[in-house]
Amino acid sequence: MAENKGLARAKQIYQDRDKRAKELKAQGGKIIGYFCIYPPLEMITALEMVPYRILGDMKEAITKADAYLPTVVCSFLRSCFDIGMKGRYEFLDGFIGVHVCDQCEKVAHLWRHYIKHPYSHFIDIPHTVHDASFEFFEAELNTFRKTLERFAGKELSPERLQGAISIHNEQRALVRELYELRKPDPPLLSGTETLEIMMALMSIPVEEGNQLLREVIKEVKERKDGPQKQSARLLIWGTPMDHVALLEMIEGCGSNVVMDDTCVGTRFYGPDVKPTENLLKGIAHRYLKDTRCPRTFRETGGTYRADLENRFDYLKGYAKGWNVNGVILQSIKYCDTHGYEVPAVKDYLEGLGLPVLFLEHEYSMLALAPLRTRAQAFLEMIR
Amino acid sequence: MATEEKKRAINRLAVSREFRALVDKMYLDGIEASRGGAPTAWAMVNWWQGDPILKAMDVVTVYPENYGAACAAAGAAEAYLERCETEGFPSHLCGYARNTLGYTAKMIELGEIPAEAPIGGMAKPVVLLSSGAFCDARYKWFQALGRYMDVPVWVLEWPTPGLKESAMEGVYEYTIEFMVRELREFVAFLERLLGKKMDWDKLSEVMDNVEQMFRVWHEANELRKAIPCPMHARDFWTCMVPCLYMSGEKESLQAYRELYDEVKQRVDGKIGAVADEKYRLLFAELPPWHSMRFFDSLAERGWNFVIESFAYHPPLPLDLAGVSDPLERIARYTYQVLAGRFHSALRAGEASGMVYPYLEWARDYKCDGAMLHPLISCRTATFYLMHARDRLMESLKVPSLVIEGDIVDLRVFDQTQALNEAEAFVETMEHYRRVREKEGLG
Repeated sequence: MAENKGLARAKQIYQDRDKRAKELKAQGGKIIGYFCIYPPLEMITALEMVPYRILGDMKEAITKADAYLPTVVCSFLRSCFDIGMKGRYEFLDGFIGVHVCDQCEKVAHLWRHYIKHPYSHFIDIPHTVHDASFEFFEAELNTFRKTLERFAGKELSPERLQGAISIHNEQRALVRELYELRKPDPPLLSGTETLEIMMALMSIPVEEGNQLLREVIKEVKERKDGPQKQSARLLIWGTPMDHVALLEMIEGCGSNVVMDDTCVGTRFYGPDVKPTENLLKGIAHRYLKDTRCPRTFRETGGTYRADLENRFDYLKGYAKGWNVNGVILQSIKYCDTHGYEVPAVKDYLEGLGLPVLFLEHEYSMLALAPLRTRAQAFLEMIR
Repeated sequence: MATEEKKRAINRLAVSREFRALVDKMYLDGIEASRGGAPTAWAMVNWWQGDPILKAMDVVTVYPENYGAACAAAGAAEAYLERCETEGFPSHLCGYARNTLGYTAKMIELGEIPAEAPIGGMAKPVVLLSSGAFCDARYKWFQALGRYMDVPVWVLEWPTPGLKESAMEGVYEYTIEFMVRELREFVAFLERLLGKKMDWDKLSEVMDNVEQMFRVWHEANELRKAIPCPMHARDFWTCMVPCLYMSGEKESLQAYRELYDEVKQRVDGKIGAVADEKYRLLFAELPPWHSMRFFDSLAERGWNFVIESFAYHPPLPLDLAGVSDPLERIARYTYQVLAGRFHSALRAGEASGMVYPYLEWARDYKCDGAMLHPLISCRTATFYLMHARDRLMESLKVPSLVIEGDIVDLRVFDQTQALNEAEAFVETMEHYRRVREKEGLG
């Protein structure tokens, strides 16, 4: 039987996400559920509560949400709401909704109405990175601080917040170290394994996550049975992927998924909160500007090429650093922010000489099967 | 003869003809001005946030959302939608957006406005004015146009607080401050782009007209609470256009004054928009533009549509006597569009400030039912309709009839089926009328 640490523990947490959170709750801990990657988790950790990311369940048919949300709504969000309505998030003590995208905002309001938690808060987030946007976002974070402090019964002192920022930044550094292990050929860690680890990190307290990462990094560096070398080294871009099925299918067709640009991967863990005298200012910059998601409008750069460079230059870094030779853009149907982005990001990547495949799918296990043939054909092209 | 009778089933306001003429003039003026070399903006409907500023800077504004509806009505949209799809955009995106993307791709490829473009087409703009209001398409779609035109994009920020949070200390103040700062940046951006300075006196004058128009238009809609209701939703949809697209103009203000007078006369004379008003209904979301006769058929059965979605109505009046900065006046009114009823919604324990107006209006306008019209390619408009249906029933015992349609794809709306469903809905309305009486719900 595998020792319950490192990769085995990550897989176990991934498969039974709420187990640890429920244990902590039974011990008197407070678990705060949140949507998306924009709520500043440092503030929750600083007040000794556990942030827990609300995700969907691809294996569960959407049955209850249909009565509340039209079928033209993003099926990932419908799934989140569906399992919420079925009581799967009853253990949460609090809920944080955010105005990340229009649909996420609206689901958050319905969530507060139908799925009651002792605490809830909604954070508005500007669309732009204008100077005034940062100040507004900082003010929103300050409003959030007040309600969170009341619920926690503690003051969010600068010392507490600084401490939490350090721990979260440590996690980000460890994740970057983990991603370095995907650079060799073959990578030391598969895309599927990486996703399991990421999912585990979003389900346990940050310090436990850091310990898990140290174990995983050590294990992966020492193991001899990592992924096999494949001719295709892929970057995966797009909407939330909270189940390994798509990655297993793509890797199973004969590829190494070596890098990602999704909110369950690099977008979540990429940038640190930089040190600033006013800590909320640093947090506001990190979440609004440094986090890369199509939901934020970045100024156009004059020409289309300049605009693409301004919006997607980080993907060039990923492609070069991880020696990528193909990109799969994947998007859950009815995601507007990613949908509008597809031709532009495709133009940019093809401009770098990379072949690109766009896969649009519903958020369900059944919907993935027809994608296999397209993935196989794409990989044939790369070979 | 039968057609003549159908036309008379809804007693349309005489003044609505003037509104139609105003709208035609808006299109023609826009085309003339852009052909004459005037700077042109493509703008999202922005709920008076950017329009007064463009007007004060003498920028001619056209609205691709409105143009999408025009293309759909003229049967020109399908080719643009197909072109959009071949460009690689997913087919589930907003129909208006896909229409614009396809149109623009074709225009740039040809180097001129496509010959078949309805009402003269839209000339290449000097600026694209996006809005963060209500949906993501309305800033992502203009960003996506960068693929075809190197035209600068400005995104108007539209804060969207939660209900509970909107009432917290300091939130209103810092929200307005943010909006004003953003508007100031927008003015500076336009000044750089156009090489001219803002005429602040002109902007104040435009805002004076806008505010007066809001008040008159709001008061006219208040008069519709009368029984029988003097003005049908069809007149609302005709007459809302100058408010949304031609605000700040004296002609628009004058037209709304005339409208108010006519509606008031009808109230005084107890004249209804439907001869024998049997059922009073609320309509949620945009109507099936291509099948408006549908409402005449329902009017023959005594159905009067007395109120519609709040987003197309003017904001609740504000007393801004002490506010001299026109940008602050704009900010306060724009925020009022979204949050004007937030306090009432919060007091009522509602989840969404976007659903609460339906409840308030169904009660105040004494509605027997609601017709909800989900729009297949407009997620935002459709999102809350099921919640609205549930809340109308739970809180007021007002039933809803849900009929699917779309803003561009004309095939989705099946008029015959809709009329059949409406027939069955009469019994439902009768039933809940009795329930409301029994439960003292008015």
